[in-house]
Amino acid sequence: MREKNYILEVKDLKVNFHTYRGEVKALNGVDLKLYRREILGLVGESGCGKSVTALTILGLLPQNACVIGGEILFKGEDLLKKSKEDVRILRTNELATVFQDPLTYLNPVLRIETQLKEVFMLNKKLLRQAVIAQKAHGKNVTFSSLLSWKEELATEPSDLKVSRAEIKKMAKHLCVDILGLVKLPDPERILRQYPFELSGGMRQRTMIAMALARRPSFFVADEITTAVDVTIQAQILHLMRELRDKMDASTIMITHDLSVAAEIADRIAVMYGGNVVEVAPTVEIFRNPLHPYTTMLMKSIPNVKKPVKTLKSIPGTVPEMINPPSGCRFHPRCPFAMDKCRKKRPKLIETIERHEVACYLIGG
Amino acid sequence: MGDLLVVKDLKTWFPIKSGIIQKTVGHVKAVDGISFTVHKGETFGLVGESGSGKTTTARSILRLIEPTEGEIYFDGINVSKSKGRKLRKLRKRMQIVFQDPYASLDPRQTVNSMLIEAMKIFGVTQSRSEAHERALKLLNVVGLSEEHLYRFPHEFSGGQRQRIAVARVLTLNPDFVMLDEPTSFLDVSVQASVLNLFKDLQKKLDLTYLFISHNLAVVHHMSDRVAVMYLGKLVELAGRDIIYNSPRHPYTYHLMAAIPVPDPEFQKKEVLLTGDVPSPVNIPPGCRFHPRCPYATDKCKRKEPSLTEKDGHWVACHYDIDFKSGEKQA
Repeated sequence: MREKNYILEVKDLKVNFHTYRGEVKALNGVDLKLYRREILGLVGESGCGKSVTALTILGLLPQNACVIGGEILFKGEDLLKKSKEDVRILRTNELATVFQDPLTYLNPVLRIETQLKEVFMLNKKLLRQAVIAQKAHGKNVTFSSLLSWKEELATEPSDLKVSRAEIKKMAKHLCVDILGLVKLPDPERILRQYPFELSGGMRQRTMIAMALARRPSFFVADEITTAVDVTIQAQILHLMRELRDKMDASTIMITHDLSVAAEIADRIAVMYGGNVVEVAPTVEIFRNPLHPYTTMLMKSIPNVKKPVKTLKSIPGTVPEMINPPSGCRFHPRCPFAMDKCRKKRPKLIETIERHEVACYLIGG
Repeated sequence: MGDLLVVKDLKTWFPIKSGIIQKTVGHVKAVDGISFTVHKGETFGLVGESGSGKTTTARSILRLIEPTEGEIYFDGINVSKSKGRKLRKLRKRMQIVFQDPYASLDPRQTVNSMLIEAMKIFGVTQSRSEAHERALKLLNVVGLSEEHLYRFPHEFSGGQRQRIAVARVLTLNPDFVMLDEPTSFLDVSVQASVLNLFKDLQKKLDLTYLFISHNLAVVHHMSDRVAVMYLGKLVELAGRDIIYNSPRHPYTYHLMAAIPVPDPEFQKKEVLLTGDVPSPVNIPPGCRFHPRCPYATDKCKRKEPSLTEKDGHWVACHYDIDFKSGEKQA
């Protein structure tokens, strides 16, 4: 039954990077499933492979990267078997991303209007339908009403003449509407501005609007709150929660901050050293963390609501990915490491209902 | 507990220059008149969003940036008037650990020469062998060993580098150490061990800290008293538990409510601030916080509130607001 609800399934994904220092084994068999309409929090420290996982799914890996094995099933089709062009088309229609630093991804010399309108203009057919709906049926077209339109498209009458100017006007109308949806004040003025005139939070909202403009069914948010302040972070997390209810999209929310994931995710996947080591619904993983890394990580972060005298730190450092530890990559830092852990990597198995963990201590 | 550091009405403005003759057309008022005291032996936390002037405050105290106005007293000595040898003597007693351990260590120096150089410049030790011995001892204190002594910074991880930076500071036997976002470049699992190190050192060496961070949970963990900065001014200063549990300034209240809690079952009140922090070039008139404050009145737009004390709790707000009911009293 549940199988049908997966929108994305990553199976045993392995990715290497060629560098002059040697082969960086960034992903070492990642297993991940994403249900429809959920927010999955992908949590881990720097270098654990969170972003690489997302980039691989989106087909945006740099030149020196090489996928050595695994499958990425998106709506049942393996993305790794598709041609670059097919993945690009898929990216314009179904997959969307927002990255950490919005200033890098917005074009500094173009107004927000130009950049946002371009996204809508990619689908002129849809804009045409929207104009017809407005003209012929007197409907008030908003971006939210477009969301439920995907199937309706073909049935609309198309004998009406629609001029280019009208299409452009509709695109502009939708731009204003979507900026309102991401809670930007005075959208008309923002459209006339350049990225440098906006604050960090506003840029991030613009990026979210641009990503959503394509009505994606899969959305990656890569550390979107890392570069902004706490009060802005709270605003953006609030917005993401609202959008989840409005959009029909599944989201992977990448963050290094467990507390951010706790605030927003339906399920949390913890990554360490290029593996997913534990996946469970958010409440479950905080109540009952099973993997030693997850347990220790939770004890090492200060909690304002439950202060402790001393934090428990995890001995050692994040592993080197050129010569990663054998077997379970956490074993050099794990207080429970056994002989078995040094030899073979434990598989991710479902121990309790919907709670998967990769550790020999539990079930394996 | 005596006062170790007294800051009085400190202002640090950066001029904005424009045109061919580089005429000053305005100022970035990074720090705009703040006063506080740091007691001996405590950890004084300074929090605020980016651009609120936390780092500028720390650097101005050390006079790494020349303050525009105001007085700074360290152990009774006027820092703002000290020069040359006298200033250097003071700097030996107050040190700073910077945010980015990848930038604060010289990539071409070994750990040994880094530590010895600091001791040589400030004349802490008499001979080379004594300096060497001390370097080794301090390396052990911060949790590294002899084998690390002759390595270069690039051979260390972020956490280890921050430990080296701490060891270098300790070579001078300081009384007062400013920690400017010391863990924001570190991984979460490593952060805990560095924070624990700071706490240990404080106990062992009787240090006083000024702890700066935008991470409110970390400041909560470390500090005894906390001051909240907004756009170059202090808005509230009190004991840690008071600031976090019963704040009186609306900004502090919203800031605390925005802290993400690593517990999905914790029922949070959804209180969101609107808008962004204004630029420190065009500071709003009256109370700086009024454009974002849900409780703002006409008075707030006209008159800037001063920081006033009630039982050791300093607040800069015209009103006494009950955040639960939304009622306010003048």
